[in-house]
Amino acid sequence: MMPAIFVLDVEEFSPIVRDARAMGGVAVSGPHAGYFRISSDKELSFNRKSLGFKPAVWYGALTGGMVGRIEEFSRDTLRIVGDAP
Amino acid sequence: MDKSSTRLPLHGVHHTARPTWKLKETVEFYRDKLGLPLVHAISARGWGPADHADFLHFFFDSGNGSTIAFFYYIGTERPEYLATRDDYRYRATHTAWQVQKLEDLDVWRKHLIEAGIPLRYETRHEIIESLYFEDPNGYSVEITCQLRPMTSVDARDAELTMAAAIELESKGAAFANIDAVWRRKGALLEAEIGGRA
Repeated sequence: MMPAIFVLDVEEFSPIVRDARAMGGVAVSGPHAGYFRISSDKELSFNRKSLGFKPAVWYGALTGGMVGRIEEFSRDTLRIVGDAP
Repeated sequence: MDKSSTRLPLHGVHHTARPTWKLKETVEFYRDKLGLPLVHAISARGWGPADHADFLHFFFDSGNGSTIAFFYYIGTERPEYLATRDDYRYRATHTAWQVQKLEDLDVWRKHLIEAGIPLRYETRHEIIESLYFEDPNGYSVEITCQLRPMTSVDARDAELTMAAAIELESKGAAFANIDAVWRRKGALLEAEIGGRA
């Protein structure tokens, strides 16, 4: 199953949408009902420094919700993969 | 439920209050170092519970009609369960004062440094930027600037987050980390808007 995340359509999380739009194999749709939906046919990967996030926002970056599971959530790297079918 | 018609009348914070066993240091800190005017003080015999100590209850003006207050219970010692602890759960009980613009946070940062008050931490959260320090009692004080208004988008998201978390809370073991909330919320949103992608 493809991993997906929901990102609230607010200023502080907008870098996630911006970075996702620049990624190959990543689809960004919305906003619908206040959320962007970002999905990938492989995995979703984000870099904290590229997003420009301080830790307080970085560690809450998935607060919009996710489909899949976190493979890595370190100081600078977040990777979400799909659930096993 | 129509929340607008059932909302009870409130108009912000009048005061919060915590106990102190450091009278002079507390007054000097809030009034003299932070510059909050001492605006009211009650001094009274203990009343109510039979073992209630005589006390002082004093208030400092923290702006916009709000105050921060303290109780000093005469002749008592601080009970162990109120001992200051260097622990994030202890600091969860804190006071957050608001400033209206980021430049005012700069003013406070400079003032705290000049007053010799250690700045414990400062950071930008989602919608607020804050700096943190402690008073002589070990109580955590935050000064914060809200960066944007909270909108209906935030409110609906908050309802969704809390609904997912409350659902998990009742399941006990399933609520081992925040991932579970994110996954539950993701499932709810996927059902609602996933198909529109």
